[in-house]
Amino acid sequence: MCPGVPEWWVEPERLLGMEIERRNNVTVTGNPHGRTVVLAHGFGCDQNMWRLTVPALVEDYRVVLFDYVGSGRSDLSAFSEARYASLSGYAQDVVDVCEALDLRGAVFVGHSVSSMIGVLAAGMAPERIGALVMVAPSPRYIDDEGYRGGFTAEDIDELLDSLESNYLGWSAAMAPVIMGNAERPELGEELTNSFCATDPAMARVFARTTFLSDSREELKAVSVPTLVLDCTQDAIAPREVGAFVHQSIPGSTLLTLDATGHCPHMSAPEATNDAITGFLAGLR
Amino acid sequence: MSPLNLAVRDAPTGPVVEVKGELDYDTSADLRDLLAALPLKPGQRLVLDLARMEFCDSSGISTLIVARNHAQSAGADVALAAVPASTLRVLRVVGLDQIFPLHPDAESATGT
Amino acid sequence: MCRTGQQSDPHDAGGEKTSDAAFAALLEDSTEELYECAPCGYLSTLMDGTIAKINKTLLDWLGLEREAVVGRMRFTDLLTMGGKLYHETHFAPLLRMQGELGGVALEIRKADGVRMPVLVSSVVKHGATGEPLLIRTTFFDARDRRAYEEELLRARKAAEEAHRQAEADRARLQDALAVLQSSLLPDILPRIPGMETAAHYRTASPDRLGGDFYDVFPIDATRFAFFLGDVCGKGPQAAAVTSLTRYTLRAAALHDPDPVSALSTLNRAVHERYSGGDPRYCTAIFGTLEPDPGTGQVTVRLASGGHPPALVLRADGTADFLPTPGGLLIGILPNAPFAPATTTLGPGDTLLLYTDGLTEARTGEGRSALYGDEALRAFATDHAGRPPSAVMEALTGLLDGFGDGLDDDTALLALGVPAARPTTGTPT
Repeated sequence: MCPGVPEWWVEPERLLGMEIERRNNVTVTGNPHGRTVVLAHGFGCDQNMWRLTVPALVEDYRVVLFDYVGSGRSDLSAFSEARYASLSGYAQDVVDVCEALDLRGAVFVGHSVSSMIGVLAAGMAPERIGALVMVAPSPRYIDDEGYRGGFTAEDIDELLDSLESNYLGWSAAMAPVIMGNAERPELGEELTNSFCATDPAMARVFARTTFLSDSREELKAVSVPTLVLDCTQDAIAPREVGAFVHQSIPGSTLLTLDATGHCPHMSAPEATNDAITGFLAGLR
Repeated sequence: MSPLNLAVRDAPTGPVVEVKGELDYDTSADLRDLLAALPLKPGQRLVLDLARMEFCDSSGISTLIVARNHAQSAGADVALAAVPASTLRVLRVVGLDQIFPLHPDAESATGT
Repeated sequence: MCRTGQQSDPHDAGGEKTSDAAFAALLEDSTEELYECAPCGYLSTLMDGTIAKINKTLLDWLGLEREAVVGRMRFTDLLTMGGKLYHETHFAPLLRMQGELGGVALEIRKADGVRMPVLVSSVVKHGATGEPLLIRTTFFDARDRRAYEEELLRARKAAEEAHRQAEADRARLQDALAVLQSSLLPDILPRIPGMETAAHYRTASPDRLGGDFYDVFPIDATRFAFFLGDVCGKGPQAAAVTSLTRYTLRAAALHDPDPVSALSTLNRAVHERYSGGDPRYCTAIFGTLEPDPGTGQVTVRLASGGHPPALVLRADGTADFLPTPGGLLIGILPNAPFAPATTTLGPGDTLLLYTDGLTEARTGEGRSALYGDEALRAFATDHAGRPPSAVMEALTGLLDGFGDGLDDDTALLALGVPAARPTTGTPT
């Protein structure tokens, strides 16, 4: 090591970056010389949902994964209800991660609400994000005049109820009581799923922010190359919504995957990966 | 810690309260309660026999003053008997040795 | 009736055969019957969610005909809208990642629109080469359980709310106490020309309202007053006396700074205020400082009301008590005697005032012995000649060393004349 500089010495700016990397549970993998692709999970899960996508990218691209604060293995103590009550709070997480890693012109791949978060982040830090891939995006989930998002406000309340019923923190504490097996806690623990487990109060904030958001106007401002991926059968983002996103973003490409459900990167990984890598190859 | 133990007996001069154990913040209320209920006639002498008192803090000292006030309001007198050396030192510091008649033992305090 | 390995009687053998058949008839179960009429719903779907097989129990719950469901509906079609969202955002990704998923609370929507809470478990069946073939799902009726859980959830929320409220109340009380506490002690000591001061205060009470007090303040252009004392008792009641004492002494000193006069005024105020059924007293030393810029010496006049004598630490390395015998506890008698004393502090001398929290700290094995006056005098001798800040630092360390032997509030005030006089009169 350098003489006079202790081994543990870290530049202050780097320290700040490390703090963000810890806060957002940042993982960097793949080809260090390749273009950087940031994979951003949507509401309800964490970076693990990209596990079938990462293998298709690592050879040619540097892959960055992270968890939004309040999700996955992020630092839950960094959560603030005020900050994350709007999508721009989540977009700030993206900008923070880009700055911590000093990314420039990265390709941002966002699933579901993360697609819209990516749009906001690209607006906030244009030099950081050079292209967008929007997987099953929806700029507004609730129906509006002349717009079909697929949901009513009551539907969103039902989802919040479902979250409450599957209050994972709650079941972790209460399952042993219900099962009457406090002396064998491992039985109760099985009720809490290891992935996608998140603090219920934070999930509730994310759900409200996600499903009550309206980012239709922001789409028009997108100026980077954009790929929109939608699915033939998606209960959350129906095909009209995919078409709407495509029409709103000047010069974007729309590709409809022959996939069912809202997570084509998991249910139809090959087709999704082909679409993403094809788009990446076409970028300058 | 030894708890506070109180015993009352009657001498020709009036009641003698024997204070045994520790007279402190936690126990002094017991002595206050006892004093409040203790009948005193004008001209009598209330004697506090401290021969077996093991500890007395500022709350204890306050309680001695309560005893004096109680005796005075009844037109009675008060005396301390067999004050332990450590408490005597405190009484001197706070000037109470000028206020309380001090006797070497309960016998001399009751004139028997 | 159990089979044993032993050879049995022929009669018995016949009887056994009969009862086996009866037992089987009683069970009557074919696998098909068990599947269709099990006390839970069964559902098999293709990987895209299309329903391939469903049992009668689930059809009955849904109020649907088999023909309308198989091949025509998907798993998510059975769910409420909120359930669909939850399925897409949580259930499906988890199932994809884990291959199985258990005990997820969802609601199915029956044909008549009524919702029914269920607990859903799914497992992915894989083919010989590991490719996912279909998803098997069971549904358990969770109506009773859900009601029970909601009850628990309500109770938990109520408890959380009560806890939050209690925390908020506690924080508010803490703030109020801090404000009150700060009104009992000076924030900083005033600068006294030609002198150095140091103070230390610690309270043994968890609400941080102590019964010890001290203050230093100017009384005119050249003189300063100081006091330090101890209210008998602890907590808010003691703090109320402390407050009365502090402000009475400050006002009395401005009116007449003579120490005996100031303590007499305080005595009358405390006696008048607390002569009822709950008598309260305090001990205090009050004094004045009169620096002589010509000699650098400071004349100290003080009086004590029942307070342990002050210590004077001399530049020559000695330390002695400044006796104030006969000064009575403040507040007992309407007219109490107070003992005056005078001393002069030269360069390197320090006057130390303390409360009995220090001398009555429990020390030694079993915390049975008290620290005592002589030990304090010896300690002071060791530090005589050092500036007040150094003396105070040493005493603070001494207090720390007492640990839980220190069970009363303690206040310390050191007033000294610097050993080396500044060459100019300008304060630095």
